[in-house]
Amino acid sequence: MSSGSKRSGKRSGDADPVPAIDARKLTKRYGSGTSLVKALDRLDFRVEKGEMVAIMGPSGSGKSTLLHLLGALETPTSGTIALAGENFEGLDDRGLTLLRREKIGFVFQFFNLLPSLNALENVMLPALIAGRRDPKVEKRGRSLLKRVGLGRREHHLPSELSGGEQQRVSIARALLLEPELVLADEPTGNLDSRSEATVLDLLSELNSDEGHTIVLVTHDTTAAAVAGRVSFLRDGKSAGEVAGGDSAKLIRAFAKLESPASKTKKRRPSAKSPRGKR
Amino acid sequence: MRSYTAVTLRQLSSRRGRLFLTISGIVLGTGMIVGVLLLTTTIQRTFTDLYDSIYGKADLVLAATSDAGALPEDALARVRTTQGVDSAVGQVTAVLSLVGADGPGAELNAAGTTVEGQSYSDLEIVSGRKVRGGRETELEASWAEANGLQVGDTASLATPSGIRDYRVAGLFKFSTGVDFGGEGFGFLPLGEARRAFGQPAGWSEIQAVVSEEGTGAVDQVKRRLDAEFGPGVEVITPQGKSDQIQSQLQALNVILYFFAGMALFVGGFLIFNSFNMTVLQRMREIGMQRTLGASRGMVVRSVLTESSTLGIAGSLLGILGGIGIALALIALLRSIGLPVGALQWTAAAPVAGILMGLITATAGSLIPALRAGRIAPIRAVLGSEGLRSRPKPIRAVIGICLVVPGLYGAFTLGAADQTTTAVVAAGIGGIIAIFFGIALLAPFVVSPLSRLLSWPVRKLAPIEGRLASDSARANPTRTAATATALLIGLALVVGINSLGSSFLNSIEREFDRAFARDLTVQPRGLNPGAGPQQSLAPSVLGEISDLPGVAVATPERLVATAQLPQVAGRKGNGPQGLLFGFDPSVYDKVDSSQIDTGELTRAEAYARVGKGALTVGKGYAEEAGIEIGDEMLLEGASGAEPAPVVAIVDTILAGGQTVSMSLEKMARVYGITSDTQIAVKADSVDARAEVKREIERLLEADYPNLTVLSNDEIKSEVESQISQQFGFFNALVAVAILASLFGIVNTLSMSVLERTREIGVLRALGATRWQIRRTVANESLIISLIGAVLGISIGVGLGWALLQGLAAGVPGVVYSPPIGTMFAVAVAAVLLGLIAAIVPARRAAKLDVVDALSYE
Repeated sequence: MSSGSKRSGKRSGDADPVPAIDARKLTKRYGSGTSLVKALDRLDFRVEKGEMVAIMGPSGSGKSTLLHLLGALETPTSGTIALAGENFEGLDDRGLTLLRREKIGFVFQFFNLLPSLNALENVMLPALIAGRRDPKVEKRGRSLLKRVGLGRREHHLPSELSGGEQQRVSIARALLLEPELVLADEPTGNLDSRSEATVLDLLSELNSDEGHTIVLVTHDTTAAAVAGRVSFLRDGKSAGEVAGGDSAKLIRAFAKLESPASKTKKRRPSAKSPRGKR
Repeated sequence: MRSYTAVTLRQLSSRRGRLFLTISGIVLGTGMIVGVLLLTTTIQRTFTDLYDSIYGKADLVLAATSDAGALPEDALARVRTTQGVDSAVGQVTAVLSLVGADGPGAELNAAGTTVEGQSYSDLEIVSGRKVRGGRETELEASWAEANGLQVGDTASLATPSGIRDYRVAGLFKFSTGVDFGGEGFGFLPLGEARRAFGQPAGWSEIQAVVSEEGTGAVDQVKRRLDAEFGPGVEVITPQGKSDQIQSQLQALNVILYFFAGMALFVGGFLIFNSFNMTVLQRMREIGMQRTLGASRGMVVRSVLTESSTLGIAGSLLGILGGIGIALALIALLRSIGLPVGALQWTAAAPVAGILMGLITATAGSLIPALRAGRIAPIRAVLGSEGLRSRPKPIRAVIGICLVVPGLYGAFTLGAADQTTTAVVAAGIGGIIAIFFGIALLAPFVVSPLSRLLSWPVRKLAPIEGRLASDSARANPTRTAATATALLIGLALVVGINSLGSSFLNSIEREFDRAFARDLTVQPRGLNPGAGPQQSLAPSVLGEISDLPGVAVATPERLVATAQLPQVAGRKGNGPQGLLFGFDPSVYDKVDSSQIDTGELTRAEAYARVGKGALTVGKGYAEEAGIEIGDEMLLEGASGAEPAPVVAIVDTILAGGQTVSMSLEKMARVYGITSDTQIAVKADSVDARAEVKREIERLLEADYPNLTVLSNDEIKSEVESQISQQFGFFNALVAVAILASLFGIVNTLSMSVLERTREIGVLRALGATRWQIRRTVANESLIISLIGAVLGISIGVGLGWALLQGLAAGVPGVVYSPPIGTMFAVAVAAVLLGLIAAIVPARRAAKLDVVDALSYE
């Protein structure tokens, strides 16, 4: 794996010895017997501090699973993950929860703001969950909202914000507790093209100007192009990687990747299918 | 699947967990109905069997209109010579108590009669023989067995003339096989009974056999006997006696059905709430069916089919539960001293159960069904988006329009002297109207209340408290409906216990005011008004008077009567009430009741009572318009006399339905000669304790069935009697509260389901499982506390309205809020909230984060 690229963060040059993410031989299997699905198969994945990496791949390639594992939302069947040198192994649910709380910021495709909280309260949510109520955090919340360009919308409810604005609130939320790593799952998948551009510019700036380490999962080449490095996945395995930046090159690479791919959709079978689903 | 209905049924079976929560109210409600029905059937059967047995051969029974009253000695001869009477026997009765090694025990209803007299009863000797004479007794076999007595054993019985030992000559069984719930029956030889009961002459009861067959003949003889003896003596058929008990139990039945109805009402409410949630949740699906061509009617019918199926299923379970409830109620009633036999089955129970279950389920689901019918096909696309309904203001107007007349209805119920059907209907209708009104009003207060109630939680755990409160407010109608189901039970508890606490406080106030005595000697467990009571041996009074330190010892005779005396010349019967006999020459020393004596002094008034005048309780006086100076006609078993009223007594005993007279007058007119209790005054305050010890020593040695109580002890005795009764009511309401608990669980499950994604987000952002649990528990607490706050307020209002009504008939009863109950209700609400949250909170905490995040 190469480290650094022309658009990676300012610290990429002097390659920090401890990577932001160091995942080795990650395997994730669901089900058993005939319904066994191998979502990830002995995958190695590494992200240096200050890097912005996009993960691309067709449906069922395992890219979402990888993101869930990196985000400590699920545990791998085998393999190890270290976040800024701290190994996930041996952490119970509570340990993983605290890890997510303190070290990881999430940006979701559907924003997932709490509808009853206003913009500032949504940004403050991680601090509230962590039981931190000092004025410093609140100040940081306000300045983050300003940073994402919503300084005057503090008291608006999510339903009063556009999709792009909601996603910017959720980015501010992800940054509140200064995480080691920001994970974005299709952050522009639910946006119109103008909002998409704003959100992508924001993410890119946060990486290049402020040195946040960002991993984003997407199947949109425009989105992937803002990353310094694009890593391809297919059938749970690495399928090479290219430097980001050039959208046209990415499209070609992605097309090559998709054509021979199995058309079957391997969706993650839920452990317990929630009842009452519409 | 062959029909559209089949689709409905398939849907039902796909949601089994929710199903149980939905029908739990129906199960408990129909269970109560069935249980109460079985109980009343059992009670009825118990008494019918009892009188069938006791008066097996008799066509007519003659007894004094008042308890403990006696017919004169010549009455038997007069009955025998009445035209149409074939034969007649007389007996004397008393309530005795068995004296064991460890003090007095079970009470025994004893009758003194001849061998011929016994042959009138329908019973069979199972061992030994009938009593003939001397100190022997014959006991009902199951009671004897329960008390470890066999033929040949000696039974020590506390009688009105002290403890006497009897050889058990025989054991008998009633031929109807009646099990009277542990109540004891026994016979003594007539002569011995007269000595033991202190009744050398006269009869407690005379049974007559009519020479001709047929009810016509019996009626004719009854009319002749009525004319012969006048209103002081009641002539009644055994069937009539049983009917009389039934009508006395009517009030109890009404109460039982009322509580059963309330549980069912809560059940209907839960169905309503549950179906509202389901319809909202299935909006997309129903819209889809509409696009596929299902008509509105089909959708409505589909929902109703679902609910009626649930109603029937729920009531089938309810019938099983009802048997358990009936058994529990029987045990409860026995524990408060009401004799009830073994459970009787009736086919009416399952029929009523299924019918009520079906009606309740259908009625409860009607509005959700109609709402489902109005779902437009476009909802197939939109789902329930943009449907967060806010309650319309018209609801508040209707709500207020229901609550106000509802309170008036409750007032009417409280004010009624007699629980006629119309009054009960007004009262129950009123109370239900209050609850409906509250259900309509509740959504408006949910938002501010949940903000207020979640304040402490928000301070402690900001995010959990905030989210819980938002969740409760997000769907105010649902939260309100859930809280209303709970508040019904809580309000009933507070309302009912308001009556209890008001009565208790008023009685205690009266005791504080009226008791100039220091001590009272009475039989253990004395409860005037609850059937025949034990009386005191005549020797007790003299022995206590002789004790050192006793200044005054004076007897009191309290006797329940079916007909209080009327003002002379007025038609109709007087109401039920209490006759009170006392010695006016010394009574002032032990009693300082407030008495309105008109122009006379208190001493003058008492002197008049000594010469045959009466005093009347304020409640009766106000109700019947009796004034000082009015002439009343006393008609007892032993005679009839006019008597003037000289004073009105301010008392709430027996609801103020009392008439008091001198001991002599009571004996002359009513034939009542035994003392109910003795009021004692010590020489000085310092002597009190010593006098009490002296009396205790005396009673322990010779009269173990008696007890001596200080004024405080009497108060706590009354308190425990009242709280026992209200404990029974509370147990009944508990069923409704239990049903509403399932309602909270149902709403929380729905809330968790709706917020699955949100929970996923919180977990991803680092919320621990415990934080998620707390969020759900907080929502539950908010709901249950809303129920508690509203329930307590409504209960106080309800209790106040009931009491104002009651106070209209019983002057002197003052409203006092049941503070203890209110606290208990608040604590119970917190506990219920926490219990309700256990399962939903666990489910929410266990959600897989990734699944939850992708949940739509």
